[in-house]
Amino acid sequence: MSNYDSAKVAKIHHHLHSHLPSEPALRVKALESLLVEKGLVNSQTIDAWVEAYSEEIGPKRGARVVAKAWTDPAFKARLMDDGTAAIDELDFVGNATAHLKAVENTGSVHNLVVCTLCSCYPFALLGVAPNWYKTAAYRSRAVRDPRGVLQEFGVNIADDIEVRVWDNTAELRYLVVPQRPAGTEGLDEEALTGLVTRNAMIGTDRKFSATATGTS
Amino acid sequence: MDGPHDLGGKEGFGPVVTDEADTPFHHDWEGRMWGISRSGAGAPGVTIDWWRHVRELIDPVDYLTRPYFDSWAQTELATYINAGVITLDEVRSGHSATQKDREARVQSVAEAIAQDASQGTDFSRIIDAAPALKVGDHVRTLEFTQQHHTRLPGYARGKPGLIHAHHGAHIFPDESAKGHEMGQHLYSVVFDAKNLWPEAGDKRDRVYLDLWESYLEPL
Repeated sequence: MSNYDSAKVAKIHHHLHSHLPSEPALRVKALESLLVEKGLVNSQTIDAWVEAYSEEIGPKRGARVVAKAWTDPAFKARLMDDGTAAIDELDFVGNATAHLKAVENTGSVHNLVVCTLCSCYPFALLGVAPNWYKTAAYRSRAVRDPRGVLQEFGVNIADDIEVRVWDNTAELRYLVVPQRPAGTEGLDEEALTGLVTRNAMIGTDRKFSATATGTS
Repeated sequence: MDGPHDLGGKEGFGPVVTDEADTPFHHDWEGRMWGISRSGAGAPGVTIDWWRHVRELIDPVDYLTRPYFDSWAQTELATYINAGVITLDEVRSGHSATQKDREARVQSVAEAIAQDASQGTDFSRIIDAAPALKVGDHVRTLEFTQQHHTRLPGYARGKPGLIHAHHGAHIFPDESAKGHEMGQHLYSVVFDAKNLWPEAGDKRDRVYLDLWESYLEPL
């Protein structure tokens, strides 16, 4: 059984620092080999999970939720009221999405999501988090210099727009609902899904193109 | 704990590298680590909060310099070692010293997707205590916190905020990280950026955190 002793774990980390190979690929391989030998993981199953999160579970799900919110006012109302119940209608509830909150961008508000303490992310809805989301640079600066961070993504926020930063300190996960781009009035839900970028749903994209392909 | 993980507001990390390939995994080993984490049995007694705490306890130099999924590998290994499932000798030799007494599940992609759908873990709990705070209340966060795991970041300690929403009671991470499950009222608390950062000036920007009742005192 586990104990919950910080000092003991600090010692374990110290030993691992000395005894594990330096190369990340070799460290992960060492872990996989031991767990396979002990019957705790299966390598084919690992393959299946890689494929699941490469092909099926990813930002396209979130994009579809946003596109549906743009085209179906009743769905949007349900999404804003109870994000988890709304995405459950599309069977998108799963890992880290049982407490989903949708936050909406408007002409006067821009939302940005971060996890300063680890890298919490709504996996079942947006897939594996991008690297930048997990970096010290993003985690340290998104709360303190959100406008500067957004500029690095090519997003300039006018002074009269309020920036709201959502730090994922609990098990709630946040989905930014971006504004529907101008000139998309004739597009249906499927076409709109193709426009929504992953970054727009985290808040590091704001005014994306009405024609470019969004997330894949 | 006041560890290297508590990054909010720290300076000196430079620009965010925004151009990266739009793929979930950038190296095979990242995918392997993801699959291990999602499909593995996990060490006995591990809660999500203990797992986070074990990651926080990685040597600060390693925490800040090694790749993200590499820290997952070290965390996963440390939890198994701590629980006595894997020994340091086995890590050194690279082989299990015991015969396996079980077979891991073989899952197809469809089964993995179905399992993911069942892993929308509900962290809310029904508790007897009524919420001590309500939407619109002015609060101040604790100035200090404990040495073990907590989810009150350093940058938001001792700061005035406003209750923006009440989420009901959720599992309290500071206790969950010690293996005790208890519910406590959880609130979304909004802070004016100018109360957190000296350079925020007159901007109307705000920072929202989800904080448990015991992190807060009424103002």
